[in-house]
Amino acid sequence: MFKGKVVLNQKESESIYLLGIEASKSILKSFQPGQFLKIKINERMDPLIPRPFTIHALKENTVYILYQVIGKGTKALSKIKKGEIIEFLGPLGKPFPRLKNYLICAGGIGIAGFGFLLQKSMKKRKFYPPEKIFYGARTKTELVRLSFLKNFNIPIEIATDDGSKGYKGFVTDIVEMELKKNPKPVLACGPKKMLKKIAEIGEKYKIKTYLVMETFLACGIGFCKGCVVPLKKGNYAHLCIDGPTFLAEEIEFEFLS
Amino acid sequence: MNFSVKLKNLKLKTPLMLASGTWGLGENLNKFLTPKEIRENIGALVSKGISINPKEGNPPPRLFETPSGLINSIGLENPGIKEFKKTYLPKLKSYKVPIIVNLHGEKIEDFIELAEELKEEKIAGLELNISCPNVKKGGLAFSSDPKTVLELVKEIRKIWGNFLAVKLSPMGPVYEIAKICEKAEADAIVVANTYPALAVLNIKPLKILQGGLSGPAIKPLTLRLVYEISKKIKIPVIGCGGIISGKDALEYLLCGAKAFQIGTANLIDPRSALKIIKELKDLKNGLCS
Repeated sequence: MFKGKVVLNQKESESIYLLGIEASKSILKSFQPGQFLKIKINERMDPLIPRPFTIHALKENTVYILYQVIGKGTKALSKIKKGEIIEFLGPLGKPFPRLKNYLICAGGIGIAGFGFLLQKSMKKRKFYPPEKIFYGARTKTELVRLSFLKNFNIPIEIATDDGSKGYKGFVTDIVEMELKKNPKPVLACGPKKMLKKIAEIGEKYKIKTYLVMETFLACGIGFCKGCVVPLKKGNYAHLCIDGPTFLAEEIEFEFLS
Repeated sequence: MNFSVKLKNLKLKTPLMLASGTWGLGENLNKFLTPKEIRENIGALVSKGISINPKEGNPPPRLFETPSGLINSIGLENPGIKEFKKTYLPKLKSYKVPIIVNLHGEKIEDFIELAEELKEEKIAGLELNISCPNVKKGGLAFSSDPKTVLELVKEIRKIWGNFLAVKLSPMGPVYEIAKICEKAEADAIVVANTYPALAVLNIKPLKILQGGLSGPAIKPLTLRLVYEISKKIKIPVIGCGGIISGKDALEYLLCGAKAFQIGTANLIDPRSALKIIKELKDLKNGLCS
């Protein structure tokens, strides 16, 4: 595991935090969008297993993680103070697929990994910028990092369940409206329900959709075989080394339910 | 400090082994440890459980974290003995660390077939997993049936001259099974496998996960087993249960274990073996001075 110094751990919404970890540039330079880190919360044995977090952004010698406090692991993480040293393992998993002329669909904390993709896509070398970003949340106050996302000059369309900002309804509704006019690949990250809907829309309009999946995982490096994703062809993929991004049509549909 | 250990005819550079199923089949090990670090810190590598035919493993979810513990229900996902020999074993051998192959069978004949398959291979030894159900005894675990264990170990002993260890379940007639392994001339026993456990995943509708509990949560339980068993038998006991630090390892060694295995620690950090060996050396140096 690598050591890093916490330089930021700030609240972005009621439950979402932005964590900045300063580490050696030689470690950070290999990071790719779509990959994740396993962060050891502290020396305690509970939580025991370091938790996986997608890389949100990278600036100079600091890597940023955007996380939502859900369980005891993220709760412990939210208590970490500036200046503390934490350990992490990574980068783990495969980077996002290299898409051109595509859309991003993010639901809630699912926006986290796309910050780094936007950063990297500005150079238009390995990664290309999306044509549009569709970002949904339950309510306006849960939309985070908007000013950061706006820096990249890519149109952002917002949806909130309660209509407090943007379209009133699910983000998948506005994605579908767009695809009806103009079908193109979608890269999506968010709740399972949203991913399922994106997979259905993909099937309906015959477009490739890529889903960033999530599951509890232990080792993160292919050791334990614990994080399986059932595939349509009958076998299992391991999220930590084969994913976390999968082509929707390859995943056993029931797994998304 | 010389850290080497001799378990019957098996000489290990350190008393630390990587437990079965906690480091895959070595495909990614060298991404996290250099060949030198592997050779100098890991006494032996115990492979994932290998069965005759490939196994896909259980459907998800396969894992659940509990306070200081981890429940797993992987379902022995493995490529089967033929593929293991062809694809995985050559790479494992390249690590130049004794390889112990963990065998998984559903009946005694399966274990015999697996041992026969490995006879010509240059491996250090076998570890028999007796926590699995015996299909010939209506699915009753081998480990709960001393007579079957006696027959199993005797049969394998007949055809396997190298190091032979039996990995005990912590449940059932554990002390009796330990003595039987000694009687059947096993070279060592591993104490112990994971504890049968259950997690409630969803309350309504009730959804549960049944699997084996590992991690620091089980350490005091297995430590007690190691302590009691090592007084009752003369063959070496290899401690395995919740070791994540050098202090944990030292406690096992002080309580009768001749060597130890780390499992969950590998899932926390693939470089745990190095940390544990360093801490153990420091502690031993402290005790000697």
